[in-house]
This record gives sequence, structure tokens and C-alpha cells, in this order.
Amino acid sequence: MSETRQINVSKTSVPKLALLALGIIFAAGLFVVGFDQGHIFSLVYGEQAFTDLYIHELTHDMRHAAGFPCH
Amino acid sequence: MKTFLFIIIVLISGAFAGFVHGTVNFAIVEPYLDQAIGIENQNLFATGEEEDTPEFWVEYEGYRTWQKGGQILAGVILGVSVGSLFGIVFALSRNSLPGSNDVKKSLVLAGIMWLTLYFIPFLKYPANPPTVGDTETVVLRAILYLTFIAISGFGAVGFYQLSKKLQNNKKLLALLGYGVFISAVFLAMPENPDEITAPMNLVNEFRIMSVLGVTSFWISVGIILGLLWNRLLTKQETPQSYS
Ligand SMILES: [Zn+2]
Repeated sequence: MSETRQINVSKTSVPKLALLALGIIFAAGLFVVGFDQGHIFSLVYGEQAFTDLYIHELTHDMRHAAGFPCH
Repeated sequence: MKTFLFIIIVLISGAFAGFVHGTVNFAIVEPYLDQAIGIENQNLFATGEEEDTPEFWVEYEGYRTWQKGGQILAGVILGVSVGSLFGIVFALSRNSLPGSNDVKKSLVLAGIMWLTLYFIPFLKYPANPPTVGDTETVVLRAILYLTFIAISGFGAVGFYQLSKKLQNNKKLLALLGYGVFISAVFLAMPENPDEITAPMNLVNEFRIMSVLGVTSFWISVGIILGLLWNRLLTKQETPQSYS
């Protein structure tokens, strides 16, 4: 009996790598929708991104609707 | 557990639930957003910042079409993001969640996360439509909101750990502890600094629609993750444990 239980526990243990990957996806997605004011595109387009605010405009309605401060 | 399958299931359930959220918002929140932005436009005309010309409206319509389409896409992005957090917590807590099957378990967790990560923070810092809010304070407001969410989330995890150490009949104390803790945080955190000049019924109706939209996400993600987990992960586990 105790052996069966041990096998069960090891089978349901959660892979650390998966948790790490999902953690990164969580943080990145939250930043895109809840926070970005041009930061992400500025990596490619430089200062102009802070004026264009593409991601901000794209996520604007969801940002308001999901309760994130927007403007 | 198969790492790849686990990740895929979590991402798919988040994306679907986010799509539901975006679609619900598109139907019930957009009219209020349009109304609120209408007020903003009137203010722009009144202060002379913009002129009420056909060109203005052409540009405005293009911009709103882009934003409305973005609502759905942003819903999927946010859904994948929050769904990932949901997947992490579900994987770690599944064995101790109440409920006779994965769908019930994941709906229970969705309810807990809806309450601690969304609804309680919402009561302190409710969603606002456009035209409410001073651009100068947006970073401060975002920090306050996310800080409150984080405190509430980590607080819930802390009191949950505590409850595991308590005897059966004392477990409710941990729940009470969270209640006292979050009430104290609620009172201690500063208020949203912006004053509301928009009509209050517009703001309130917008907030109700916003709650319905977010709630549709949590219900969907709970059901979809539970179903997929039950189909694809639990079935695999059971025969192996008998062998
Ligand atoms: Zn806005």
C-alpha cells in the first residue's frame, strides 16, 4: 500500500520547468495588457514607441474593462 | 506528469477563457467605453484641443475600430497570462482542493482567485471608464492596484499554508485571519487619488459590466482547465498508479 502511494505522489508532482515557463508567460502577458506604455516596442523602434503607444492602444479597451488603470 | 502537455493545456484554457472575456466585453462593455470616450471628445472640443471636423471623426473611427478589435486580442493575451498563473496554482494545490472531480476543484480555485485577486482589489480600486483619471497619476495607480493584488494573493497563500498546520476544527481560523488581514490592508492602502467628474451612473454601470466580463473569464478558465485536465492528465495518471 505504502508503495502505491509513493508512486502516486511522484506521478502528480509538478514539473519545475513548466512552472517557470508559465510564470514567465504570466509576467510578460500581464505587462503587455496592464502596464506597457511603449516599453516593449521601444526595444525595436526606440523613443518613437513611447509616442505611438501601439500596444497601449491595442489593449486599451481591455485594460479599462479588466480594471487596470489606463489614463 | 507530462510537462509539455501540462503547459499546452494551461495555455489553451487561458486563451479560450480570454477569448470569452474579450467577446463578452465586446458585447457589454464597449457601449460604455464609447459613451465615455464621447464625453472625452466633447471635452476636447470645449477646451479647443481638437476641432469638431469630419477629419477628426474619420481618424476617431479608425482608431476606435482598431481598439475594439484589440479588445478580443488583448483578452486572449491577458487570458493566457492569468490562465498561466491559474495553471500554476491549480497544479500545486489540486490535491488539497475540495471537490469530487477536476472541474469542481478547478472551479473552486477559480472562485478563490476571482475573490482574492480580482474582486477584493476591485472593491478598493474599482475599474474606471475613459474620461475618469488623471494621466499624471497612471503609474501610481497601476502600482497601488498591482500591489494590493499581490498582497491579497500572497496573503491568501500564507493563510492557506497556516490552515494546513492547524487542526481540522481550527482551520476556519485561517480564513478569519485572512479576512482580518485583508481588511487592515484595505483600510491602510491609500485611496485612488483621482476625482471622478464623469456622470456617476455611467461609471457605475461600466463597473458592473467590467465585473461581469472578468467573472466570465474566471468561470470559463475554471471549467475549461478542469475539463482538459480531467480528459488529458488525470486519465494518464490513473492506470500508471495501478500498475
Ligand atoms: Zn484609457
